[in-house]
Amino acid sequence: MSMSSVASAKLSLIVALTALSLQACSGEAPAPEAKPAEAPSTEKAAPAAEISIADLQASAQNVTLAPSPAEMQKAMEKAGIADGLSKLVADRPMKMDVANKDVIAVRTGVVLADCLLTVKDAPKEKLVARLEQVKTGLLALGAGNDIQVTITELSAQITNDAISRDDLVKQLDELHGAIIPEIRFEAGERAVPLIQAGSWLEGSNLVSSAIVTANKPDAGTQLLRQADVVDYFLKYVKTEGADKAADSVILQLEGTLNKLKEIAAKPTLTLDDVKDVKAQTDSVLALL
Amino acid sequence: MRHFLLAISLLAATSFYAQPARADEGEAETCLRSKIWEGYSTGWAVRTSTKATLTAGAHKVYLVTLYAGNEYKLLACGDANVSNADLVLYDHAGKQVAADTSNDREPTISFTPQSTDTYYIAAHASRLNGDAQTGALATAVTYK
Repeated sequence: MSMSSVASAKLSLIVALTALSLQACSGEAPAPEAKPAEAPSTEKAAPAAEISIADLQASAQNVTLAPSPAEMQKAMEKAGIADGLSKLVADRPMKMDVANKDVIAVRTGVVLADCLLTVKDAPKEKLVARLEQVKTGLLALGAGNDIQVTITELSAQITNDAISRDDLVKQLDELHGAIIPEIRFEAGERAVPLIQAGSWLEGSNLVSSAIVTANKPDAGTQLLRQADVVDYFLKYVKTEGADKAADSVILQLEGTLNKLKEIAAKPTLTLDDVKDVKAQTDSVLALL
Repeated sequence: MRHFLLAISLLAATSFYAQPARADEGEAETCLRSKIWEGYSTGWAVRTSTKATLTAGAHKVYLVTLYAGNEYKLLACGDANVSNADLVLYDHAGKQVAADTSNDREPTISFTPQSTDTYYIAAHASRLNGDAQTGALATAVTYK
């Protein structure tokens, strides 16, 4: 090897080692250059690989399973039983300063449902009071500061008439459907399903009340048979084998969900079934 | 020999710098959020949105209850690492009832169920760009 070859080999080694040491010192990879978004193609893509029912069942996540109260309301409108629905929403001042976090989560879900169902026409003082209850509940569950700030800002905007009711609908939908599900990282895995259970319970109570009032049991068959949703909530509510003493609210909730599961298994619901749903959900809500 | 060593060293240097782009869930979420908010002007509302980071060809499955009578639009947005994302809707028995056929990273499915039931949404990161190892995919269920 000539002298010049040796020199160039050394140079090459230095370049490579310099690159290596720069990489090591920076601690992380340099920011990748922004890639231009690919223009949407009109070309048809090969269909995604089909998934077997066994794999669907094994891998399905439940985060999108429970319908939102506002979505129930929409389905009720389509079924012709939503007239005066927001007037059916009772004032339920909920105690959030209790030791059992499961109870706080269910209560928070109920009040959140009330917010969503009355957002278009509730007096602003009532709406703000409900939002403050939701905030207190989320705080007690361990939700982070961001969500508290979001709700405080929303309350201020409502108080100052700085937000239209249409925009408020969007904000509350986002709070319910995107922001609250993220609190699982701070409040634990149980908090979100139990908040959803509270909202769903309140929604089901209103649906059953409206069906009984309108005497339309067919709508019960369409709207109240949600066995998978009940099963999902039961997983978190089950007190059998729990490592802590069961709260009376949670015991009642478990009993109610088991009864609702039986009713949901029927191919069609009668008016008596719907009355039973109302009575069962009434009994839990009365304890809250 | 000199050229060979120089080429090797340059290759080594560039390979250390050409790190695959990281999945950006924030980007996917921002794209989805803008679609959701656009939808409100035409009567759509959101039930839930969620996000995931996936490798090429991987998917996430979400269980979803859909009400008879309501119209549903399932939306997804991939980040810049995703070149083709797909959505497929299966009924409770596992039969495919709807799928998007577009070849892009913003798939959509519209569906109006005939009966209230539980369905499965599969969100696929079908293809990633060049050197990306993962891509972010945000998915939402909207209704009207």
